[in-house]
Amino acid sequence: MGLRWFHFAAWGLFALGLALLPELVSKGTLRTLIFANYLAIFAISWDLLSGRTGYISFGHPFLIGIGAYTSAILTKRFGVEVEIAIPIAVIVTMIAGLIVLLPALRIRGSYFALVTLAFMELMYQLVQVIRPDLTGGTRGMSGIQTLTRGAVNGFYLSSVLMFVIAVAAWLLLRTRIGTALTALGLNESAVEGSGLSTTKLKMFAFMASAFVAGLGGAFYVHYLGSIAPRALFDINFVFTIIVAVLIGGASTIVGPIIGAFFLTFLLEYLRPFLPGAERYFIYGGIALLLYMYQPKGIYAMVMKAWHSLHERATK
Amino acid sequence: MTHALEIRNLVKTFGGLVATDDLSFDIKTGQSVGLIGPNGAGKTTVFSQIMGELRQTSGKISLFGKTLGTRPTAERIRRGVSRTYQIPRPFLELSVLENIRVGFMPNSIWSMITKGPDKDREIQLALDVGFSQNDFEKPASDLSMGDLRKLELARTIATGAKVLLLDEVFAGLTTGEISQISGLIQDLRAKGFTMLMVSHDLPALEPLVDHVIAIERGRMIATGTFNEVINDETVRASYLGEV
Repeated sequence: MGLRWFHFAAWGLFALGLALLPELVSKGTLRTLIFANYLAIFAISWDLLSGRTGYISFGHPFLIGIGAYTSAILTKRFGVEVEIAIPIAVIVTMIAGLIVLLPALRIRGSYFALVTLAFMELMYQLVQVIRPDLTGGTRGMSGIQTLTRGAVNGFYLSSVLMFVIAVAAWLLLRTRIGTALTALGLNESAVEGSGLSTTKLKMFAFMASAFVAGLGGAFYVHYLGSIAPRALFDINFVFTIIVAVLIGGASTIVGPIIGAFFLTFLLEYLRPFLPGAERYFIYGGIALLLYMYQPKGIYAMVMKAWHSLHERATK
Repeated sequence: MTHALEIRNLVKTFGGLVATDDLSFDIKTGQSVGLIGPNGAGKTTVFSQIMGELRQTSGKISLFGKTLGTRPTAERIRRGVSRTYQIPRPFLELSVLENIRVGFMPNSIWSMITKGPDKDREIQLALDVGFSQNDFEKPASDLSMGDLRKLELARTIATGAKVLLLDEVFAGLTTGEISQISGLIQDLRAKGFTMLMVSHDLPALEPLVDHVIAIERGRMIATGTFNEVINDETVRASYLGEV
């Protein structure tokens, strides 16, 4: 895995920072941080699939939505305990991940991206027309059991979840599976030509991504206490996830966290000046500039600066 | 001596075009065979069928006495046959050692996660094919064509295959690089690898093969030692441009 002391130090400092934040910032900022944490989870989920394998998903809310709706329906309509509903939601999302995998066995590139977009739109339509007594139809559901009360508790829960997912995914991708998935994204036929089953590798990436999406979606709905199809199965939501990954640095796990925090705060701080959708022009512009000059994202910029500092210090 | 590879009545058609025409040959274990022919003769198509990248229209391919049937490429590699390509297919953003690591990987997700890479084996193989320690962390995108060919050869060997199909290994190389790759192939012969090699560089091919098969339009036109084949009238007429 090539783990070094500074890896542990960096994760430790990050954990310490998260633990101390409620003492340092306002409740309002904490609520923004909770959204940043959930966006980071969704971005990590997207990165596990698309960042590594190159199978760009435009329909990630399909998976997040299945996790969220399953847990919401089980707890609200059937009175299932939330501790049981969330694992079931994760399993159901992973099964849905297998459905998304099927087109990936035959197509890739823009065709795959469009199929995933279709999955999301299909889900949007289905939750409105199929059993609206369960899904709440167009209006969605409210009064869903929440897991925490207050900004501080909500922040700690989302932080622990995000931190555990991030460290687990980061460790996972430092094993040989990370190298194999990167190779898959770079040259699928050469992976096959190295004696590895690309179907197995894709299945793993889709399952891991679906696991995180389902877990994040289920916890998110039990934070919000409500769910609305238009807000969830929304193209802006997809782009926010993708841009968070790309701004932060795809295929790195750490990058999506940086991107999610950067983007959430950028959008929040722009809100007083640009209350409408114009804010998205600003973040689109920043994303564009970054892709032009540093396509590997903020993470690559930070690492470059760190390496040059390290080199100077050792000279 | 057992046959490492047996090709029987292999036919491959693309619509009306016959790319492989009733081709049959055997390669004994440890033997090194050259496959020559003019451009478009169907040499790479034969490789692609052996590897399962193309499905033959009819005919049989056996590896160490077992028919390969419709098995996928990855499974054929695990059974012991692997190939290089005319245009190398490296993982450009991965380092030299990481490229080799992919070849060494087991086809089990669990093992990939729980067992770390065998760095000593990776380093030994990288050194064996002629990389220096300074090259280990270089991304493949920084390598010359000669180094890319070495890297592809290393990844092919790393798969554990004992039958290697080498497609135009000398194409695009300098004289020095040809001599280096040639030395590598000699080493592989000495280690008992079975090889089927396609090359238009006949002088480079000559010292590396026990036997040569010449094909034209997918059909075998001559077989024998290197000298027998290149002196064959049909081969001279169709491939070497002399009568």
